[in-house]
Amino acid sequence: MGLDRADDAGVYKISDHLALIQTVDFFTPIVDDPYWFGQIAAANALSDIYAMGGVPKTAMNLVGFPVKKMDISVLRQIIQGGLDKMKEAGVVLVGGHSLEDDELKYGLSVTGFVHPDRVLTKKNLKVGDHLILTKPLGTGVINTAIKAALASQQTIDKVTKIMVTTNQKAAETMAKYEVHACTDITGFGLLGHIAEMVEGQNLGIRLHASDIPILPEALEFASMGLFPAGAYNNKEFRSCMVEFSPSIDSILADLLFDPQTSGGLLISVSYSDAKALVQDLHKAGLTDCSIIGQVIENPPGKIVVT
Amino acid sequence: MMKELDCRGLACPGPVLRTKDLLENHRPDVIKVIVDNEASKQNVKRFMESQNYKVNVEIDGSLFYVIGSDEAGSEVQSEERPAPEPHVETKKIVVMIGTDRMGYGDDELGKKLMLNFLATLKEMGDDLWRLILINNGVKLTIEGSDALPILKELADNGVYILVCGTCLTYFGLLDKKDVGETTNMLDVVTSLQLADKVINI
Repeated sequence: MGLDRADDAGVYKISDHLALIQTVDFFTPIVDDPYWFGQIAAANALSDIYAMGGVPKTAMNLVGFPVKKMDISVLRQIIQGGLDKMKEAGVVLVGGHSLEDDELKYGLSVTGFVHPDRVLTKKNLKVGDHLILTKPLGTGVINTAIKAALASQQTIDKVTKIMVTTNQKAAETMAKYEVHACTDITGFGLLGHIAEMVEGQNLGIRLHASDIPILPEALEFASMGLFPAGAYNNKEFRSCMVEFSPSIDSILADLLFDPQTSGGLLISVSYSDAKALVQDLHKAGLTDCSIIGQVIENPPGKIVVT
Repeated sequence: MMKELDCRGLACPGPVLRTKDLLENHRPDVIKVIVDNEASKQNVKRFMESQNYKVNVEIDGSLFYVIGSDEAGSEVQSEERPAPEPHVETKKIVVMIGTDRMGYGDDELGKKLMLNFLATLKEMGDDLWRLILINNGVKLTIEGSDALPILKELADNGVYILVCGTCLTYFGLLDKKDVGETTNMLDVVTSLQLADKVINI
């Protein structure tokens, strides 16, 4: 797969039956607890493999650590968190690299397998498809509130649980269906990632704002102005592609640009498969997932939010 | 009382937190916060609005002056400032319906009353924001329901109709729904939270 089109990970075909998928992701801590941070970073790094329809197999740790400022036990807990997440996903840790850094950073480089005919990209939407989102939005805003020490422990626990949940179950469930396109929702926010799917295409997307699962705590913190700067950057970059119906509240509109950490999958399937897939996803424990919109013919290359 | 806060060089959520501290400790009539980036401008404006301040933003080169005036206190003198975004003052009324008939007593009468009620709802005008249909209420949305044309008219007029997906599934009516959006409990809860008024039938 070339670099001319944005996609979630690199794919290299080895034989007619096997292709490699490679991806890398790392970031600075979002929660205070090092063990949970390790889990979140690993879940986030694995996500791109699932979004491409693959199965992650091996991983390497990437670590930046301020060894003079921080106790080495912190790093041990982070790595333990990552390792536990890899075990859960059936991934083998095969190595890694660490360096001294002013700021703590952790993540993974992940390699996965996929059948070359089953690679899921962002660009195979079909008019009439329904779009399914598997996790609720709002982690960017809530993480900002956590940084500002305004989030309750209950909220921190809730959002941590969402972020450490890998997209493994979602990927396994969707593999039973004829999925047309898929991506994972991360730093560009829901609308930023959807924009990549419709950019330059002869079709557009209509989203039903009230169907989009959003964490209620995120709405509350968003109305207090706790958006991360990334949300506004995403909006500035992509708002030319989005038409909001006048009834959409501006806070809700901006939440659709909120950068997500370890966000869910956005799955495009035919109308006839969508309901059954959502039911299967619910059965797999992804109770927040829902159909949030559909692929439309007009306006091409645009996202309409009603 | 006027207070000024220089938040140049601070990244999000710093300016909001400093504004929050100041408002909590002093509650000035007028507060002016200086920020140097778009994100902080938006966030500080939103925070002040959430604290019932009326907000104007002045732009000076790369700086933004976010000026809030306590709506209960004195007004800021506004000169040549762009008018705040036009905003039509409508209420957000949510009507939550958990039944296909209105009131207790005679069921036939109750069904007629429900039709009459739905047909009269449009008199709320733009204030009617969303209808939430749960439990037996979802039966109003299915093929053959007498309420269907009335609900479709409301939907065409911009009223968002949320139909409980769990309830449709429970009654085996998921494929029979003919109006509104199938929804989940999170949307229901969010709608209730965002509404100015909730009417429960």
